[in-house]
Formats: sequence, C-alpha cells, structure tokens
Amino acid sequence: MILRIARKEITEMIRDGRFRAAGAIVFTLLAGALLLGWQHYREVSAQHSAAQRATREQWLGQGKKNPHSAAHYGIYAFKPKVPLTMVDRGTDPYTGVAVWLEAHKQNEFKYRPAQDATAVQRFGELTGATVLQLLVPLLIVLLAFNAFSGERELGTLRQLLSFGVSQQDLARGKALGVAAALGLLLVPAALIGVVALTAGSGQTDMIAALPRMAWMTVGYLLYFGAFVGVSLAVSAWASSSRSALIVLLGFWMFNGLIAPRAASDIAKALRPAPSAFQFARGIEKAMQGDGHDSASARAKRLEQELMKKYNVDKVEALPINFTGARLQDSEDHGNEVFDQAYSRLWTVFDAQDGVHRLLSAAAPSLAVRSASMAFAGADFPQHAHFARAAEEYRRTIQRVMNDDLMRNASNTGVYLAGDELWKKVRPFEYTAPDAGWVLARQAPSLAILALWCAVAALAAMWTARRVRVY
Amino acid sequence: MLEATALSKSYNGTIALHPLDLRIEPGEIFCLLGANGAGKTTTINLFLNFIPPTSGTAKIGGLDVVQQPLESKRLLAYIPEQVMLYKNLTGIENLEYFTSLAGGSHTKTELMGFLEGAGLARTDADKRVGAYSKGMRQKVGIAIAIAKKARALLLDEPTSGLDPKASNEFSELLKKLSGAGAAILMATHDLFRAKETGTRVGIMKHGHLVAQYSTSELGHADLERIYLEHMHD
Repeated sequence: MILRIARKEITEMIRDGRFRAAGAIVFTLLAGALLLGWQHYREVSAQHSAAQRATREQWLGQGKKNPHSAAHYGIYAFKPKVPLTMVDRGTDPYTGVAVWLEAHKQNEFKYRPAQDATAVQRFGELTGATVLQLLVPLLIVLLAFNAFSGERELGTLRQLLSFGVSQQDLARGKALGVAAALGLLLVPAALIGVVALTAGSGQTDMIAALPRMAWMTVGYLLYFGAFVGVSLAVSAWASSSRSALIVLLGFWMFNGLIAPRAASDIAKALRPAPSAFQFARGIEKAMQGDGHDSASARAKRLEQELMKKYNVDKVEALPINFTGARLQDSEDHGNEVFDQAYSRLWTVFDAQDGVHRLLSAAAPSLAVRSASMAFAGADFPQHAHFARAAEEYRRTIQRVMNDDLMRNASNTGVYLAGDELWKKVRPFEYTAPDAGWVLARQAPSLAILALWCAVAALAAMWTARRVRVY
Repeated sequence: MLEATALSKSYNGTIALHPLDLRIEPGEIFCLLGANGAGKTTTINLFLNFIPPTSGTAKIGGLDVVQQPLESKRLLAYIPEQVMLYKNLTGIENLEYFTSLAGGSHTKTELMGFLEGAGLARTDADKRVGAYSKGMRQKVGIAIAIAKKARALLLDEPTSGLDPKASNEFSELLKKLSGAGAAILMATHDLFRAKETGTRVGIMKHGHLVAQYSTSELGHADLERIYLEHMHD
C-alpha cells in the first residue's frame, strides 16, 4: 500500500515539469559544487604538499648559522586538507590553514580567505554543504508542501479516503515518495562525490574517509527526514496549500538564513571572545619583555641561579652557554603564557559551541552544520587539534636549537651550527583525529537531528490522522 | 446494506440533518432529492465518515462507519459530483492506483476491461487525465466502483453537468451495478433520471427526509408535482 502510494507520487513528480526543472537545478548545483570542491581540494592539497616540502628543504638548506637564528628563520606548518573538505570547507576560511613556527611566539594562522572577503561573500560560496543544507531542504518543501493540502483542494483526498486508505499510510507513502525522488537526485550526486573523492585523494585516503563520510551521511539524512516530516505535517495541518507553502518557506528561511547568523551572534553575546587585538595585548602584557632583553628581571634571576648551581662567579665561566639557557627559559615562560591565553580563548570558543548546541534544538540546520563540518574535518576543535600539534612541534624545534646552543656554544666566541643540527629536527607529521574522536564530540548534534527527525515524523502522523477532508 | 439509524448532524447548534432513519437494500437505487443545503451531501459525508455524526449511527454492510472506518470503506465506492483524478497520470494509471489502494490487484487487460465496461474508449484510457471531459472522469469513477466490486455506492450529484447522452449512459451503468447486487444512494437534482433509474426516491428539506416513494408508484409528472409541492413552504 505504502509502496503503491510512493510509486504514484514519484510518477507524478517525474511527469511534472516544475519538479523536473527544480530537481535538475539542484542536481547540477550539487554536482557542480562537488566538482569545484574537488578541484579546490586538489589544487590546495598540491600547493600544501609542495609548500611543506619547500619549507622543509629551506630549513635543511639554510647553511651555517647560529641555532637561534635558525629558530627565527622558522618553518611553516600546513594543515593537511582532509578529502571531505571538498564537501564542506567549514571554518577553514576563517581559521586559516598555515602557521609560521618561529622562536618566542605562538603565531596566528595565516591564509584565511575570509579575511579578504566581504560580508556578502559569506552567502556566495557554492559548496556541497551549501547545496545540501540550503537547497535540498527547499526542494523538499517544494515537493511536499501540497502533499495533503493539494489533494484536499483537488478533491482527491476525499476519494482516497473513501477507499479505506488509512491517513497514516498515506503520510508514509508520501514521505517515501519524496524520499525516493530525492534519492534519484542525491544518489547519483553522492556517487559523483565518491568518484571525485577517490580521484582527488587516492583510494587509501578515500577508504580512510569512509567512516567520516558515513556519519556525515547519517547527519544529512536525519536532517532531510526532519524536513520531510515537518513539510508533511504542515501540509496536513494547514488550511490551504498557500498557507502551507508560506509556513514552510518561513521554516526554511529560519533554518537556512536566520538561525545560523542569529546563533553565532547570540553565542558571541553570551560568551564574548576577546578581539584579536585584545588577545595579542593580553599576551604582550603577560610576557613583560622577551628573551633578548638580558636586563630583564628573569634573565638576572636565571643568571644568579645558574652561577650558584655551577658554583662560578661570572657568566663567562659557566660550563654551559648562557644565551641558550636564557632563550630556553624565556621559551618556557612564553609557553606558559601562551598555554594560558590559548586555553582561556579556546574555553570561550567551547562555551560558544555549547550555546550553539543548545540553540540547535530550535533549528536542526545548526546541528547539521556543526555535524557536517566536523565530519568533514573542518570544524574548530579539529583546527585546535592541529594548532596544538603544530605548537608542540614549534616547541620541539626551540628546545633542540636551545639545547644545542647551551651544550656546544662557548660563552665568548661565535658559534655556528650546520646541517647536522637541522636534520635533528624531524619533519612535521600530523595525523588528523579519526571518526570516533569526532563522533564523541558530535553525538549531541546527531542526537538533536535524530530527535528532530522523530518528532517531525510523529507530527506528520498525528496531523495526518486529523487531516480535514474539506 | 446502507443503514442510518437516528443519524443526525449539527454544526454549532445549526442542524444540518435531523435524525434520519434509512435502509437501502442490495439492488436498490435510492435517489435523494432536495434543494441545495437540504442535507443530501451531509448524509453522504456521514456515511463516508468524513464528518463525525452528532448522534445516531451509519452502517455499511452492518459495519459502523465510525467504529470501523477502514473496513466499512472496503465495501463502498464514492463518486462525487466531479470525479477527481491525478492529471499527470493516464486514465488507466489512475484506475490502477485507486483500485490498488482498495486492496485489489489487476492486470492491465482487466483494468482496460473495467474502463471499457464503464464506457471509456480504449484510446482515451492511455491519455493523461488532464485532457478528460467530465463525462470521461465520471466513467473512470464508475470503472473504479466496478473494479472494486463495491457493494454500496454513494453518489453525490454524479450526473450534474453531463450532457443527456452521457447522463443516460451513466444511468445505464448504475442499473447494471444495482442489477449485480449493489446498494446505491444517489443525491441528485435530476428528477427525470431519479424516476428512470431509481427504485425509490426521497425528498429532503431543511435537514428532514420529508417523503419517500417507490418510483414504480409514480409517473414522471407526479414526481415533479410532488417535489414542487414539498418545496413550497
């Protein structure tokens, strides 16, 4: 029964020119967005690996110099592009993808396209995520807004019910019909996506991306399910197709356009993060001078401590190089400051995330956005995960340089290190967290989506049972 | 087969149907006459359980339509003033869909047979319904009733707006169905058809069933005279 209803719905949709056109547009945009994403991914990841190689070669080929100069010379760390970012770029355009690792400072990330973009561009970027989060729900609304109200207006609802069809079966059949029509669009698009993914990143990476892809799919399916349920419920409840369409377009606009902006504004207002300037000022204050300033109190104290420890009366007599010790001491101090500052900042971001999660109970689009970018590997926690790894690497470089200085440089003459030392610093390697790590953080989003889907389905059943015939 | 017992309906105190007692046996065609708003459609909607009764019961084949909404509907076919079909489907596809919802499964040949039995031309059966005339739609409606082997038919002014020939064909089909044992309740304004087709006629006014006659007792002129007498206040 349900299958027959669904089959009739699909036949009708396929024969209706408007839906064919709308479907073709959505499919073209989705396939186009995936291909654009694929191209972007290929270019950027090629650039990244080239740049990563170049920065390594520059490091190794920097010739003879003082280890501290080498530390200043620095090295770039590039956040590896995860294949699924071809679907959802997430926060990458805002957080940046490259960081310069140098002495004394935990730098901000660079290459942030959003920095150079106008506010309008926020809406303009065509990615798979935009199509899936904005256009597919719109298509669902257009497919389902008159599911019941249209049949009531046409008079076929009376006839259907006179056959002893249960209204719930009708609702199930219609839901299945819409689902199948969407499947006709989304399954081929998903196949294109998988092929592009394999072509763009190789089979191994593709297989590694499968669990993330599966969870991302679950998130989107629940989101679409919620939209189908809400559309059917409103269609059964509304007094006319017109009002059903207006209500549903309102719901769509709230989800797609209003909620995301409002949620980030509310999160910012409730849990304000310092501006970039304030943040930098805070760190500056906490540092109170840096390692070059040998007149600073810290350096003096260190000098005293070391002379006491080695039982000598002047700095030149120390068995270790004082500059090296002073630099490492200043690094240690700096690291503490950075750790505190960043952990404060990230706590604020976490709190903002929490607000977001609460608000996503009101709009499923917030939950799906967060799940989508998380499983794509482009959300803030994963950015922070990379940032931590890069910072760890920076500290390793500093330690290696300063240790060498301390041990090998004399306190009087000029000291130059060479290739041997540069090679001691191993190339930067970063493994992104696996799907389980993301899932543990995204379980609330998925739960909210599942709840929306279930409640919408119940609402559809409930209103269908009470659907008016006239 | 169709049975109303003290069946009534009121909307916010306005009485649309005063308690009605009515029995229609298999093979009978009961024609409900009356002005618009007299309660004919209300009666049919009560049998369809589209609206809940204020009091009393409506039964189809002994099944209470409120208690057993789905089971009671398996026995009946409903043909409204305008049989509504899905315009993007062909006549035969519409028939297939509706009959399958009623739980039937028919081959294409059988379906075509039903449509032909209802007088629809073979060539029209494969056309999309968007291009159908009213007469053709009503024939699909009859074909649905035939395919469903309905034992009770509820017809709400099914012939209004049909040309005389189509109307005549429709009446012949009804006779065939009642001859096969169906109980038919038809609301109509067509006194001539009521006398020709019906076995009994009932006249409704302001929600009351004011009179019932067997058509064999009456001539055409009698029915019109009686009807008009009732319509005078």
